[in-house]
Amino acid sequence: MDREEYTRVPKNLQFRVGLLLGLTIMVAAGFLIYALYARGVFEATQRLTLVADNAEGVSIGMDLTFSGFPIGRVQRIALGEDGRARIEVDIPRKDARWLRNSSIFTLERGIVGGARIRAFTANLQDDPLPDGAERIVLRGDTQEEIPRMVATLRSVLENVEQVTGPGGSLQASLDNLRGLTEQFGGKEDARKLGAVLDRANALLVSLGGLSRRMDGVVAKTDRRMFGADGVVDGTQRAVDQANVILGELRESLKRVDRILADAQSVSGNAKAATQDLAQLRAEVDASLRKVSGLIDEINRKWPFKRDSEIRLP
Amino acid sequence: MSWLRAWGRALLFAFTAAAAALSFSAYTARTRSLAMRQVYFAAWQVLPGFTLFAALLSWVVIQITVSLAREYNLAQFALELAMRVVVLELVPLLTALYVALRSGAAIVTEVAVMAHNGELDELRSANIDPYEREFVPRIAAAAMSVFALTVVSCFVVILIAYLVMYGASPWGFSEYTRTVALVFSPGELGGFLLKCVAFGVVVAVIPIAAGLDATKDPRSVPVAVMGGMVRLFVALAAIELVNLAVKYV
Repeated sequence: MDREEYTRVPKNLQFRVGLLLGLTIMVAAGFLIYALYARGVFEATQRLTLVADNAEGVSIGMDLTFSGFPIGRVQRIALGEDGRARIEVDIPRKDARWLRNSSIFTLERGIVGGARIRAFTANLQDDPLPDGAERIVLRGDTQEEIPRMVATLRSVLENVEQVTGPGGSLQASLDNLRGLTEQFGGKEDARKLGAVLDRANALLVSLGGLSRRMDGVVAKTDRRMFGADGVVDGTQRAVDQANVILGELRESLKRVDRILADAQSVSGNAKAATQDLAQLRAEVDASLRKVSGLIDEINRKWPFKRDSEIRLP
Repeated sequence: MSWLRAWGRALLFAFTAAAAALSFSAYTARTRSLAMRQVYFAAWQVLPGFTLFAALLSWVVIQITVSLAREYNLAQFALELAMRVVVLELVPLLTALYVALRSGAAIVTEVAVMAHNGELDELRSANIDPYEREFVPRIAAAAMSVFALTVVSCFVVILIAYLVMYGASPWGFSEYTRTVALVFSPGELGGFLLKCVAFGVVVAVIPIAAGLDATKDPRSVPVAVMGGMVRLFVALAAIELVNLAVKYV
């Protein structure tokens, strides 16, 4: 077996083959680690369950986007006990801050391509979405909309057809218009139209005169209102007089104020006097009790006279 | 009927070779040296040329895919499509075909000539198992060569896919990573590895089994080579078809 004569083998064959196999293993292992990293194996995630009436078009590995950026990935799709689809989405912890308690999730299906799950957060100051949260997903489906739109459009087109078709109301209106213009077609009608126009011209001329007279009236009114000794002038004087009267009235009111203050001080004195009266009465009461006690004493000490009557002075 | 018998012989040879590979006596310095020589010829020598070819081909295919997808407003699917078609299917199949064309043809001719010369009979009479001595190192080396060439060229193609899609900008990396995550699921990676190994084993097993069909008659050598190459092509196509059917059907 001397095939080596045709195929030269280099001296460092072992090194080269080792290098090739080492490179292969390194690339394969590196790519495997990269793929695991890409799939989020080395990343802490939190779970979000979206509940939809219909998960058609949703596939595992699909993105959940927020403002056009993917922040989560569909991990599992299952049919729940209530017959609704449950879409389980894994969201990396660092991206979970975009989702709040008040976030809304939509599932949209376009004409081309798969469905899209999108998240909307109106208030980023709201409480963060807890781990394992469950939310209803709102559906927007172009393919479902199209038949409805076509049906509406068809009824609109039918209406248009009815309006424009023979025997339609537009046709009838046009017929009426045509009849009317045909009625104006004769020479007699043209003469009548001319007379109408002449009369309208005369009316316009008289209206012109009227407006000139109206101008005069307006000028007179202006003079009467704003000229010397006009209405406005007289009013100005009346207002001045009213000001003077109001000044006098103000003086009178000040005087009334002073009188009221005096009356107040008088009533204050009266109050003090009533307080003195109460004290006086208490003193009289005390004196009477003392006199009563004195009489009882005298009665006890006075043995001969049993008559308890005492004559007060 | 004869082609069925030929397939049966190839299958039988594969089992026998697997049994021989499991015995410790197959791992000697001589077989190691033979395997290394085979890897050198089948992989190292062709590595720069083949990688360049794979890079050019994939650059053209990915460029067409991406620009057409952009034209139809489907750019978000372009990268995934390119990875699935070029990296996972086209490049491994082309690598296997290339190694089959180059090393498979050499192996089948070598074994057929050995059978014709009676070298194998000599080995057997000297009580040396030709499976352990000649066949197992070749099969192992062919499998390693196909795997190494596939991994290196796929890696280059993945880099080219990034460059075609995003240019030299580093800002496409996160989107690119997402697509990688979408395409290379654990099942997909496992399937890819299995396919590479199957390609590598077939590239050596079928030519050697076909070479053994040669007899002392010199006219049997070209017949054995032709039959081996056709069966190898059919086997590679069948593996690819089965792989696609399992994944997408």
